[in-house]
Amino acid sequence: MSTMTLQEPARRFEELLGHGAVITDPVRLRTYECDGLTHHRVMPGIVVLPESAEQIAAVVRVCNEYGLPFVARGAGTGLSGGALPRADGVLIVTSKMRRILSVDAANRRAVVEPGVTNLAITEAVRDLGYYYAPDPSSQQVCTIGGNVAENSGGAHCLKYGFTVNHVLALEIVTPDGDIVELSDGDPGYDLLGAFIGSEGTLGIATKVTVRLTRAPETVTTLLAAFKDIEQGGQAVSAVIGGGIVPAAIEMMDALAIEAAEAAVACAYPEGAGAVLIVELDGPAEEVAHQFGEVTRICEESGAFELRIADDPAERAAIWRGRKSAFAAVGRISPAYIVQDGVVPRTTLPEVLASIDRLSREHGIRVANVFHAGDGNLHPLVLFDDAEPGAGERAEIVSGKILDLCIEHGGSITGEHGVGVDKSRYMSRMFSDEDLDTMQLVRCAFDPRALSNPGKIFPTPRLCGEVPGVRKGVHPLVESGQAEHF
Amino acid sequence: MKALRHEAEALNKTGVTIREADPGDAVAGVPPRWVALPETTEEVAALMRVSAEHDLAVVPVGGGTKLHWGGPPERCDLLIDTCCLNEVLEHATGDLIVRTQAGVTMDTLAETLGGGGQELALDVPLDGATVGGTIATATAGPRRFRYGAPRDLLIGITVVLADGTVARSGGKVVKNVAGYDLGKLFSGSYGTLGIITEAIFRLHPVPLDRRWITVELPVSGPAASGGARSFPGGLETLVAGLAASQAEPSAVELDWPDVRGGATVAALVEGTAAQGRALAVQTLMGEHGTARITGEPPAWWTAPPGEDVLLELRIPPALAHAALRAIAARELPARVRGSVASTVLMIALPSDVGEPAFAEFVSGLRGDLGHLGGRLTVLAAPRELTLRVDRWGPASALPLMRRVKERFDPGRRLSPGRFVGGI
Amino acid sequence: MDLELINDCVHCGFCLPSCPTYVLWGEEMDSPRGRIHLMKQHVEGTPMTPEMAGHFDACLGCMACVTACPSGVRYDRLIEQTRAEVEREHVRKPDDRALRAVVFQLFPYPRRLRAMRLPLRLSGGIRRKIIPRLERINPSLAAMADLAPPVSARVRLPHRVEAKGSRRATVGMLTGCVQGEFFPQVNEATARVLAMEGCDVVIPPSQGCCGALSLHSGQEEQAKRFARRTIATFERAGVDTIVVNAAGCGSTMKDYAEILEGEWARRAGAIRTVDLAEYLAELGPAAERHPLPLTVAYHDACHLAHAQGIRSQPRELLSAIPGLELKEISESAICCGSAGTYNLFQPEAARDLGDRKAERVLATGADLLVSANPGCTMQITAAIRRRGAQEIPVAHTAQVLDASLRGLGRVPTIPA
Repeated sequence: MSTMTLQEPARRFEELLGHGAVITDPVRLRTYECDGLTHHRVMPGIVVLPESAEQIAAVVRVCNEYGLPFVARGAGTGLSGGALPRADGVLIVTSKMRRILSVDAANRRAVVEPGVTNLAITEAVRDLGYYYAPDPSSQQVCTIGGNVAENSGGAHCLKYGFTVNHVLALEIVTPDGDIVELSDGDPGYDLLGAFIGSEGTLGIATKVTVRLTRAPETVTTLLAAFKDIEQGGQAVSAVIGGGIVPAAIEMMDALAIEAAEAAVACAYPEGAGAVLIVELDGPAEEVAHQFGEVTRICEESGAFELRIADDPAERAAIWRGRKSAFAAVGRISPAYIVQDGVVPRTTLPEVLASIDRLSREHGIRVANVFHAGDGNLHPLVLFDDAEPGAGERAEIVSGKILDLCIEHGGSITGEHGVGVDKSRYMSRMFSDEDLDTMQLVRCAFDPRALSNPGKIFPTPRLCGEVPGVRKGVHPLVESGQAEHF
Repeated sequence: MKALRHEAEALNKTGVTIREADPGDAVAGVPPRWVALPETTEEVAALMRVSAEHDLAVVPVGGGTKLHWGGPPERCDLLIDTCCLNEVLEHATGDLIVRTQAGVTMDTLAETLGGGGQELALDVPLDGATVGGTIATATAGPRRFRYGAPRDLLIGITVVLADGTVARSGGKVVKNVAGYDLGKLFSGSYGTLGIITEAIFRLHPVPLDRRWITVELPVSGPAASGGARSFPGGLETLVAGLAASQAEPSAVELDWPDVRGGATVAALVEGTAAQGRALAVQTLMGEHGTARITGEPPAWWTAPPGEDVLLELRIPPALAHAALRAIAARELPARVRGSVASTVLMIALPSDVGEPAFAEFVSGLRGDLGHLGGRLTVLAAPRELTLRVDRWGPASALPLMRRVKERFDPGRRLSPGRFVGGI
Repeated sequence: MDLELINDCVHCGFCLPSCPTYVLWGEEMDSPRGRIHLMKQHVEGTPMTPEMAGHFDACLGCMACVTACPSGVRYDRLIEQTRAEVEREHVRKPDDRALRAVVFQLFPYPRRLRAMRLPLRLSGGIRRKIIPRLERINPSLAAMADLAPPVSARVRLPHRVEAKGSRRATVGMLTGCVQGEFFPQVNEATARVLAMEGCDVVIPPSQGCCGALSLHSGQEEQAKRFARRTIATFERAGVDTIVVNAAGCGSTMKDYAEILEGEWARRAGAIRTVDLAEYLAELGPAAERHPLPLTVAYHDACHLAHAQGIRSQPRELLSAIPGLELKEISESAICCGSAGTYNLFQPEAARDLGDRKAERVLATGADLLVSANPGCTMQITAAIRRRGAQEIPVAHTAQVLDASLRGLGRVPTIPA
């Protein structure tokens, strides 16, 4: 679609939102060309910065009128290109919608706008003795709207679950511009559950009711340093096998530790080939018992140093290295790919060995940071973009890691989402029937495929098309009446 | 008659065991014509293909414990009984997951998992319920307060759609955001979108120890006069205290057998230090009466308060007392039981309650509590009681739900009319 | 602009919530990540459009993003380079140009500043009448009048202050332009505290501006000139350590070796600049601390907390005073909007940030606000005054320590 055809909708948006809330200047538009995944870039046709659900609904209705695709974006921290804009469409940015509308401690819930950051919720309720449990590493930046779209987890989802387990209701703008409430208390289909994690393809969340979790009586964080990653892995298996569900178990390998040290000087034990962070929380007596068990297990597995944090400052010091790890890799490598795959926990040692083999075969360094408790790997594939061919080799290694995850019965994404980045892997993990069935949900919500098209699904059918073997170009596409996204 | 024979033949050709239905197979009073007993997902798919060809209306059933829940189907040709999909396929203890066929009963599953020191942290209100039925009706028991409902523990699902398509979503890992989560959509879908044939759940280690702490709350106010003025005293503060307690109870349940009388509140703590934490809970409860600690659940724990006429009330937790007052004010012999801290309460009425009283009870409570965020659904009631009552009550996203149903089952052949808005 | 430094940014967005303009407006172009993206566009050939320049001008240079960045992006360097580029390439509107000319010919020159103090600082009643009118004519002039603190008696500091008791060190002291002119009592207190802690304090009389204001506004050449002069002045005074009590000055002086080239860079490297709190914490206490029964809200000046990484030292010094209770201000990492000359060039944004900060300062309920930067002090007191709230007394860390060391029992605060 040419820019000419965007002029009229842009004018309509200005009428609806005011001049300052609509961006059409190319220099400004380009700053929105990517989210946290920078190797996919598309300059949006128009950016709008609405301040209410009504404004979003009005924008979406105009999009429907002109057949314009639209993409929602929060803070733009996603790592799968889920908020990659459309050149022929509208980017709806919720960063101005960041009011905490209500905090209701008695009912253990808060109602917030989608642009509120994940951490801001916890900060708003901390003094009441509550917090918001899902804690993605980017929690100080990422918005709750983005969390809903991606069903974000975090280090503590091992015990506490994901966004979907902590959102009680949503107000959404549907792909045809209606404002609808999805609530866990309502009878009927669990559309709330289906919407969360749909990566913006089923509409835009405009109000989020989150569950607040009572702050635990005790939190103890333990850092164990091991000679190598195998020992650390053994400790993880033994902890889980021992019937303990820690709040979090995180592991970093030597290369990831090096990066974190360079970035935030986290002062992890010297000479560690792997560090394990185990956090236990809950009633004091329970934690005390588990702590004894975990300490014993770590020592038996070969930990050469244990550090224990009991107060928030010490705990923050231990977590600092882990939480900064992704971005910190920039310190030790000019370029890198953050991968996100999941394997059954018991296959971790095998998969890590295979990743190591891949790394050596292709001459590409891989740093490993992972949520060890649930088998969620975040290999950081390092390369020098100035070196010819290095980027391609890194891509190959990164892709083969996903293949490993699929082979071992895991998933191609544990928390970063499919977005635009992994849609091509979907058909390796799911059959055509599986994808067609998911597409039924999409078509129910968004028959015109205007809401974040091109994400999650590899070249899906048009809604209304009868499933079956597809041959050649679809007649509607050929005649210019429709296009595949 | 010829067509009928033709259909039966087609069904038999699938190789699946088919039998003629008998009156005991009725679905909420509507008798099916045949009952099929498939053993695999592929057999279910074959049955669904035949049903699609011959426009047969299909209702799935597991243990049949909740077959009288929901509206009666508009039509019902084939009952797909999942009792022979009864294999626990994979229990990976190290990964804390289980993959099971949908017809496995929750008891059998618990036995298998218990062997590995693990459990599916769902309490099942009805004996004999299957995995599939539990998911399809989204039933959970007391521990929903800590662990949630089936949708919160389900990580993978296999379903057969109306046209026989077999679809999977999720997988064997807990952390997984690839694609839409069909498991959520099928949880509580009452057999209207497809037949659940397999499920994968995340598991928890069986807690080393468990304690129940129970307190009787007497009637406050002039008990003798009965009715709305009598109400279990202190319930509000007690429940708020328990819900916020750092002793972290897994469940806080209420049993209120007679709305003119007192109530019992029981909490469960689980873990190595259960005894110590139970003492903390006992102290909290002690302000309201004599609290007792036991190693066994109270007799009423998990069980629904009734069977034939059963309602479910959900309301934000801080308003539980308002809900209970509103129930009592209706002056019917209601029995109330359920999770008071997460506020999902079951209400049972006698089966001879009578249509006018029932209709007034339902619409009256909806009127009293709707604006507070209260939602009342009729889980089970004979057809004659619900002539003037919408079993499900309002759902703001109903138009979207209809669109979902239309996509999944355009021919309206799956449990038609059983669900919200007549879906 | 250095493409390599630009490419260090991995676009993670961790800087967003730390950026005052993003906090205000929620727009990508007015975040560090967005501005780096704009820099890249410019380096790759997009001309410096007025829109682009506007987003760079809107940056406060508070450096909170430098603290927040896990990838170690040198945004401080980048924005300095960019500001110089803006000055070279961007033709400003006439009124903007005129204002800038006034500011750069005024603030870095203590004597000119002194001459301006009286007209700027009008008495309360007149000010209330005149500010709304100034606001209509030019918000920047209104901002200037609104901010200026009342005139206090000029203080002439001695050239040398002898250590009390046994001498532990000899240090030079920077008097600063704004600090020296508007807050001379802070300089007095600084000199006394250093002396009581056992330092000989050398205060060269002919010192001028350190170059911070110019550097932060893209006036690269003026900045270098001031830097060279400052180095020469302290070399002549014969000290190798300069204690600075103004955060903005300290952060610039610590960068002299990077700003200057060749021989001057070497000479800059031979002199150590330290912040007062940093130096005192390092030195350790010698003099007795007398009680001050006060609750104190400590405000992190950006050029102290972000540019110099000094957060714990002032807090430790204050907490060590018997009877003093320290309160944290929420959102402490977000700039108050003063940011050097920012409140003059971007008065609306500065006002909004000032109001935001004032609200949070007042929420602490503290008796006294302590800040280590004259700009912050002016900005926050002006914002509190605007709210019509009960004014909170303000003091510099040096004044609180001075009061404790001298056993005054109260802190002689900066009149607002």
